[in-house]
Amino acid sequence: MSVSREEVERMAALAQLAVAPDELPELTAQMDRIVGFVARLRALDDLSGEGPQPTGPPETLLRDDVVTPADLARSPAELAPEFIDGFFVVPKLGAMEEP
Amino acid sequence: MSGRLAAAAVQNRLAEADRAGLNATLAWSAAALAAEADRVDALPEPGLLQNLPVAVKDNIVTTGLPTTCGSRILEGYRSPFNATVIDRLRAAGAMIACKTNLDEFAMGSSTEHSAFGRVLHPMDPTRVPGGSSGGSAALVAAGVVPVALGSETGGSVRQPASFCGVIGVKPTYGRVSRYGLVAFGSSLDCVSVFARTVADAGRVLGVIAGPDSRDATTLAASPIVVAHAGVSLAGTTIGVPREYFPGDLDPGVRAACDAALLRMRELGAAIVEVSLPHSSLAVPAYYILAPAEAAANLARFDGARYGVRAPVAGDLRELYRATRGSGFGPEVRRRILVGTYVLSAGYYDAYYARAQTARRRIAGDFAAAFASGVDLLFTPTTPTTAFRAGEKTGDPVAMYLADVFVCPASLAGLPAMSLPIGRSEGLPVGGQLIAPSLAEAKMLSLAAVLEGALDPTAEVRR
Repeated sequence: MSVSREEVERMAALAQLAVAPDELPELTAQMDRIVGFVARLRALDDLSGEGPQPTGPPETLLRDDVVTPADLARSPAELAPEFIDGFFVVPKLGAMEEP
Repeated sequence: MSGRLAAAAVQNRLAEADRAGLNATLAWSAAALAAEADRVDALPEPGLLQNLPVAVKDNIVTTGLPTTCGSRILEGYRSPFNATVIDRLRAAGAMIACKTNLDEFAMGSSTEHSAFGRVLHPMDPTRVPGGSSGGSAALVAAGVVPVALGSETGGSVRQPASFCGVIGVKPTYGRVSRYGLVAFGSSLDCVSVFARTVADAGRVLGVIAGPDSRDATTLAASPIVVAHAGVSLAGTTIGVPREYFPGDLDPGVRAACDAALLRMRELGAAIVEVSLPHSSLAVPAYYILAPAEAAANLARFDGARYGVRAPVAGDLRELYRATRGSGFGPEVRRRILVGTYVLSAGYYDAYYARAQTARRRIAGDFAAAFASGVDLLFTPTTPTTAFRAGEKTGDPVAMYLADVFVCPASLAGLPAMSLPIGRSEGLPVGGQLIAPSLAEAKMLSLAAVLEGALDPTAEVRR
């Protein structure tokens, strides 16, 4: 198993994570070490007839679908980096390029 | 004792711990403590936890103190709401004493991945307290607070409890509401408890457990009622999984476990060897499933609505990349990348699907052991005592393997705990009990008997 620098760059783009070029060699080596380690699961050849392990309760608890006050101790305006007239302010989305 | 007096006492101890450089706290204040004291003193009736100061891992949200998750990306963040566990503790008369240091977003086994520096081991500052809930463990071990909340995704309470010589209890997945616990691996995350005594751990767990309409995964199970500790284990069958006692197990850890098992036999327990054949798959499976869930859960930290925003001149996508690239530390970035990798086209079946199968088989191993007549399982909590700072930071996989004995119960969603069973070369050794689903009361009852029968400060004989 080996993870390439290009794959790390692609994962970083998919994950919306800036990675500086000088960080790539070490990050690629670490990713390769981790992916090589988890590849031990290839020993599991027979995957048939088994779904994922169920977690949580057998039946999901549902609450009534009613609007209740959020009772927040502070408003979104206090939390947001920039908030004007009830809106979170962010830079414009550029061209819809592929990541 | 009044809340005011209790608050003043814990304030002195917190200040002393900070002066000593333990680095276990990320936030506390005299004013916040005084407000908590006034609040509990004004309760119409004393609660089950009246005046009890509780330290809280800094990935559990609180309105009174900031919540950073040990990350620069949330530096200064103050939640607009309390976690359900915080509301329940406060309603029972407990006081929130402080927020505690942790590996960033609970990803780590030593606190060395905290953006705010590592926590010192209270007994040996050259060593780590374990992680990710190392700050909570260290504060309980140092006697600053009697109990603390931590969180477990893959052993983050039991492992530091073992290293620091305190009790750490992870409940059944779904026993305790995750509302307000900052999500890491949502199918694994459990709010968990540190304490100096089994009785305190049981009291706190009893208060915070129970269904919550704000967490659809909580279980409508009967309350946890711990039987009064007797002195006999007659009629109890303890299973010892052979896979947890490998040839390279630390000799001091092995000797402490052997001595504890001998004591259990003397107290009347039947000790039987069992096999959990898929145990070796637990750490690799965990390091696929948890990063995959983390990659999705941590997508919310983008600099748009809360937290820190990186200054950028570009567009929205550039804002996301720059904020996340500079806000997350190295281990969090590694896990996001690994999680993205194992979920990406072409790799899903090779990694994620296999990890799900491994998880199912690990849970099946436990079910078979308990079906064979075993009441509880006993294992070492960790392969070694607390390791030295810096010893594993160069190799992420070596750090992951510190959790080899605690990961499996997390994947199976089972209750498990660590309790101190002796010391090796002066450092605490933890023994782990693993119970069937929802059998916390049985587990805590046996732990209480062991607590009275073992000397956790005694050096083990090899």
